[in-house]
Amino acid sequence: MGVLVPVIVLTAWEAAVWLGLMSARYFPPPTVIAATFAHLIAGGVLWKEALVTLARLAAAFLLAAGPAVALGLAMGLWRPVRSAVEPYVALLYPLPKIALLPLLLIVLGVGEAAFVVTGAITAFFQIVLSTAGGVQSLDPRLIEVGRNYGARGVGLFRKIILPGALPAIFTGLRLGLGLALITVIVVEFVAAKSGLGHLVFRSWQMLLTAEMFAAFALIGLIGLALTRGLRLLQQRALAWTPPERELT
Amino acid sequence: MSEPGAARGTSGPPSRREWPEQAIGIASPLLFLVAWEAASATGLLRPQFFPRPTLILGHALDLALDGSLGRHAGITTARVAAAFALALVPGVAVGLAMGISRRVRDGLDPLFAVTYPIPSVLFLPLFSFVLGPAEAALVATSAMTSFFLVAYTTMTGVQQMDRTVLEAAAHFGARGRTLFAKVLLPGAMPFIFTGMRLGLGYALIVVIAVEMASAQRGLGALLWLSWGLLKVEDMYAALVAIALLGGGLLWMLGRFRRRLVPWLPDVAGG
Repeated sequence: MGVLVPVIVLTAWEAAVWLGLMSARYFPPPTVIAATFAHLIAGGVLWKEALVTLARLAAAFLLAAGPAVALGLAMGLWRPVRSAVEPYVALLYPLPKIALLPLLLIVLGVGEAAFVVTGAITAFFQIVLSTAGGVQSLDPRLIEVGRNYGARGVGLFRKIILPGALPAIFTGLRLGLGLALITVIVVEFVAAKSGLGHLVFRSWQMLLTAEMFAAFALIGLIGLALTRGLRLLQQRALAWTPPERELT
Repeated sequence: MSEPGAARGTSGPPSRREWPEQAIGIASPLLFLVAWEAASATGLLRPQFFPRPTLILGHALDLALDGSLGRHAGITTARVAAAFALALVPGVAVGLAMGISRRVRDGLDPLFAVTYPIPSVLFLPLFSFVLGPAEAALVATSAMTSFFLVAYTTMTGVQQMDRTVLEAAAHFGARGRTLFAKVLLPGAMPFIFTGMRLGLGYALIVVIAVEMASAQRGLGALLWLSWGLLKVEDMYAALVAIALLGGGLLWMLGRFRRRLVPWLPDVAGG
């Protein structure tokens, strides 16, 4: 059943174009798209752009992850830190982070740094929120038990708090990575000269629709692989936690 | 006293602890602004790129007063509202269908799974082919991610419902439409509401992104175009306006929340 629906959709699409119901220029038939996809992969174009996007993603994520987890933990552990940081979070939360791109382009110049940092900020936000939330929603009884057994300070942190918050931290990292990918692609679409997002834009402008769809397909596949793959990884690594109610 | 578990645990009388924290909460951004003002005024920060906050505010007020900021803000808000409405109704409908019927869920899931990870903005070309390169395409593009979010959360809302509640209601004679309207819908409502909150947020994000990419009017367009012309003060004004719009939308939704799910306690971010 799961496979059936996409197959039906693709077949209907193919038929619609051949019957003249859909314009082949704007909606090339799936067979043409697949052929273009293969051609672009073989020619290395798709790989090249994909690598650029993934490199930016990796840089953004690595930039954000460490500091974000650290800040999230600090916020969860110490009230003054939370009070000091919270207003910034509240102010920035409703702001689409992509809106910071022009500002970053000014500060960092038009180049990779601005693209990467925009993605990093999006990931940073998510990771901080998840981490702080994870620490704060620990079952207080766990901490009490730890204290009863003599755990204090660093010991309490390492043995009780950190493992307890780990599922939330992982989830935050996973979501942050997904958001960073989306942000990087959007930034590429809007402002960059390379990367998958830019490829979509370029093919659009040149009306190379088959290429555009091929890029779509690759982006969808990468995004899917990343999110589902990471979720599986999380389930394996943190096998002791009950399975989460997942959104997607 | 450490904070872990504070979200769940009971801590002592709040008033005595809270006001130093509230003070920090207000002081922190204020200090930041003061530092920025000083740095920009003394040239530590290049004033061409980082004008003093007071100047930014003044300029923003100017723009607001002469109506141009209001015009852009109005256009963006209208687009967000339209995108949200476009996402909400089909989203809830599809979500309910997917929650109720396994067939529907199995059928749509693969389709959604491949489309959802693609950033909404990228659908702009597609929608412009079908709907022409104008407002309709922009709104439709902005509605996409929101649609998925609403659909998924609604579906989860239906799925997580205690089956015994439904059975009990059926036992008491509720059927079809009554069962749906009086039991299923309210039961799924907290999740639907979360979907609405996320959906509204994303509608704003995508509208801004699309405006930055290809529009002439609207806050995103103002932001991008003024950057292009290096009219930095306009850029900051747009940024402030966008943040205010985002905050305003969240606040409005919060008010609405009390009417939709009055039985839920007021939870931050809930």
